[in-house]
Amino acid sequence: MKESLLSIQNLSIRMIDDHQILLQNINLAVNKGEMVALIGESGSGKSLTARTVQGLLASNMMVTGHVFYQNNNLLSMGKRNHHQLLGSEIGSVFQDYRGSFTPFIKVGKQMVEAIRSHFSINKKEARELSLHVLEEIHLNSKQIFHSYPFQLSGGQVQRVAIGLALALKPKLLICDEITTALDVMSGETVLDAIEKVRKETGCAVLFITHDLVQAYKRTDRIYVMQKGKIVEEGSPVQIRCEHKHPYTKKLCSCLLSLPGEDHLQIIQGAQSV
Amino acid sequence: MKTVGKMIGSRLSQLFIMIFVLSFFTFLLMKITPGDPIRSILKVDDVSVTTKKEEQLKKEYGFDEPILKQYGDWIINVAQFDLGESLISKKPVSELILERLPATLALAIGGLTVLFLISIPLGVISSLYENRWPDYISRWIALVGASIPSFWLGLLLMYFFSLKLQWLPMMGRGTFAHFILPSFTLGMAMAPMYISLLRERLITILQSPYIEAAKARGISKRRIVFFHALRGSLIPLVTMFGLSLGSLLGGLSVIEILFSWPGMGELIVQAVTQRDYPLIQGFIIVIGFLIVLTNLLVDLLYMVINPQIQQGKEARV
Amino acid sequence: MTNKQNLSMLLGIVLASILASIFLLGSTFGTQDPFYINMANRLSSSSAPHWLGTDHMGRDIFARMVYGAKLTIGLGILIILLAMCIGIPIGLLSGYIGGKMDAFFMRVIDGILAFPDFILAIAIAGILGPSLTNIVIAIVLVKWIVYARVIRGLVLEEKQKEFVLASRLSYSSTFHTIRLHIIPQIFSEIVVMAAIDVGKIILLISSFSYIGIGAQAPLPEWGAMLNEGRTFIQVHPSLMVYPGIAILLTVLCCNLLGDGLKGYFQARKRRNLQ
Repeated sequence: MKESLLSIQNLSIRMIDDHQILLQNINLAVNKGEMVALIGESGSGKSLTARTVQGLLASNMMVTGHVFYQNNNLLSMGKRNHHQLLGSEIGSVFQDYRGSFTPFIKVGKQMVEAIRSHFSINKKEARELSLHVLEEIHLNSKQIFHSYPFQLSGGQVQRVAIGLALALKPKLLICDEITTALDVMSGETVLDAIEKVRKETGCAVLFITHDLVQAYKRTDRIYVMQKGKIVEEGSPVQIRCEHKHPYTKKLCSCLLSLPGEDHLQIIQGAQSV
Repeated sequence: MKTVGKMIGSRLSQLFIMIFVLSFFTFLLMKITPGDPIRSILKVDDVSVTTKKEEQLKKEYGFDEPILKQYGDWIINVAQFDLGESLISKKPVSELILERLPATLALAIGGLTVLFLISIPLGVISSLYENRWPDYISRWIALVGASIPSFWLGLLLMYFFSLKLQWLPMMGRGTFAHFILPSFTLGMAMAPMYISLLRERLITILQSPYIEAAKARGISKRRIVFFHALRGSLIPLVTMFGLSLGSLLGGLSVIEILFSWPGMGELIVQAVTQRDYPLIQGFIIVIGFLIVLTNLLVDLLYMVINPQIQQGKEARV
Repeated sequence: MTNKQNLSMLLGIVLASILASIFLLGSTFGTQDPFYINMANRLSSSSAPHWLGTDHMGRDIFARMVYGAKLTIGLGILIILLAMCIGIPIGLLSGYIGGKMDAFFMRVIDGILAFPDFILAIAIAGILGPSLTNIVIAIVLVKWIVYARVIRGLVLEEKQKEFVLASRLSYSSTFHTIRLHIIPQIFSEIVVMAAIDVGKIILLISSFSYIGIGAQAPLPEWGAMLNEGRTFIQVHPSLMVYPGIAILLTVLCCNLLGDGLKGYFQARKRRNLQ
């Protein structure tokens, strides 16, 4: 039995004013060092699930269920304690790369700020560490350090965001559609950066995406989400070849259009539709 | 830098248009107004009015020339930094205005300091407690503050702090204590607009993705508000400052009279009651110049706060 | 949000009705003459004949307040109407015709707008000679520009919209297009602006009167009353309390109504969109 890091149990969320149900009975687990994909179309509630863990829900939502992080219920621990876990225990990278850093403050300054919020080291050491992080992900460290976020490309910003998130040594990294706003090539470099650091630090990743190919290629387990519910769960191969839910079938059948894949399996998947 | 040159150029052209339009307009108005400045000069000189004397003075001041010629002469003089001399005190206008300038600037700086001391905390509190009681209180302060006449506010402050409590001198200029009440009146009169604007901006910014990213990075709430969010909301605030500079100067003149503060506002009101035309005209030029100059400074400040402008990119926030 | 704005509207209407009934009742049933001087009874406190007491010349303060209300509020509304009469047609034409005339016009307007309206009004009043009439003229001369500017902006915005394009294609005249399509669209904006501006203008007039270049001595304009009462701030502070509160409440009422109307029009717009 693997050790569970994050365990979401019977999580439901609905709006307080019109009782619209946003999430219904979500059960999801991420084990230590595991890379788990949460896949589904936009509006299916993937990001909302992540935001529950990140403590970023709006105040007009009613939340029931349990979200355990290392046996502490995030939902009942109070805002302040929850906030303290962010960054140092739970790292996050978001979809909109322009929103990853505050636009008017130089990247380096923001890195130093984040590092010093979690480690008691002086400015100079934090600066060294930041530069080191940037080098680790193969960026021109000095130049990036002294740039404003808008002077960098989307791929660069996302890599810096990942580098910084991992420099804080979290046990769990939440990646919310981090490659969606990027072109394919920069997306791949960003994912490679995650892979590389993950191997070194052994941190778990909750990888939210709508791209089945990415999930299939890069993750250990996949959850499929539709309309606020988790409809299927399994290893990438299971999801690809032995899926049961119609929505998953539809997702997999879309892969047909991708050349250079294993045709036999795809045809097998498509036939069962 | 190219953009800086461009900026100065556009501000300068604004200066010329403004001064040209306003001075011509007021000049024209002077000429078509029935009242006669010569008579007011004679009244001040306390000489019995004779037609001969009147004619003589008219000639002396060039008032018998055609309007366009008079305006042309005046503009040429202005271009040589000669604003003419006061009809009443016979001193050069530029001298009269310049000796009042320090007092006005001092009061403006005092007022701005108070303005920031009031509007930043209230704006921040309002946005942090959106639609809860601290927010309602600060919004009511802003609403009532926008409805209160500044001179009455000044009178009330004067009444309580000078007459009742006797903490501060009532009027005049001299010590730092003299400086406090006028500065507070000015700052409090201007604050409401800034409180509302800051509140609105902060509420928008606190919901923006980069604030969430900072939160998710575990940065403390205090740092998020004061380091990340406030900085973004300073941009519209600085723009607002450039735009409201005029009302600052306008508000100043009322407050100067209220507190007998010997600044430019007091001078202009004197000039108005005595119909001292050259002084009024000169005043318009100087104010126009001050406004364009400050707007230029605001532009430069804007570049410092929002580095995106330097890059020739549009601000995204 | 809508709740809050309706609250502004509600408070504004309540305040307006209270003020209006005080002033109306005062002017209908008040028996005191606001100009009657009685030096024997100066600076008295409130009593049966003089509800708010008398001022430094023995005049009835309440009667003067009521007279001042008619004067101040009436002038505020008059100025706005005059400014709109000049500003709106010019803004409409400039925006609708566009082209070089519009560009030139806007350069001039921007030049003037960058200048403080208060000081410009002081200067104009100074040239015309200090009196209440001249202050009114000065404020109108300054205020119409703002209306022209805003209206022009709104016209340009509306012009882009499809229905105006459509009606242009059907060869209707300029005047017709403005009347049928543009005016109804900008009506709401103007009403909100005017409501808030009446308050601002009341503040302006009273400031001018206070510094002595607006309403002159016996005329009980609120600002002028404060100016006269200023000397007695120590011995008889109520002279400066009542007119100040009157200005505050009247302007507050304008701001609340403006805020409420804004909310009302926004809500209506949203409903129309749905």
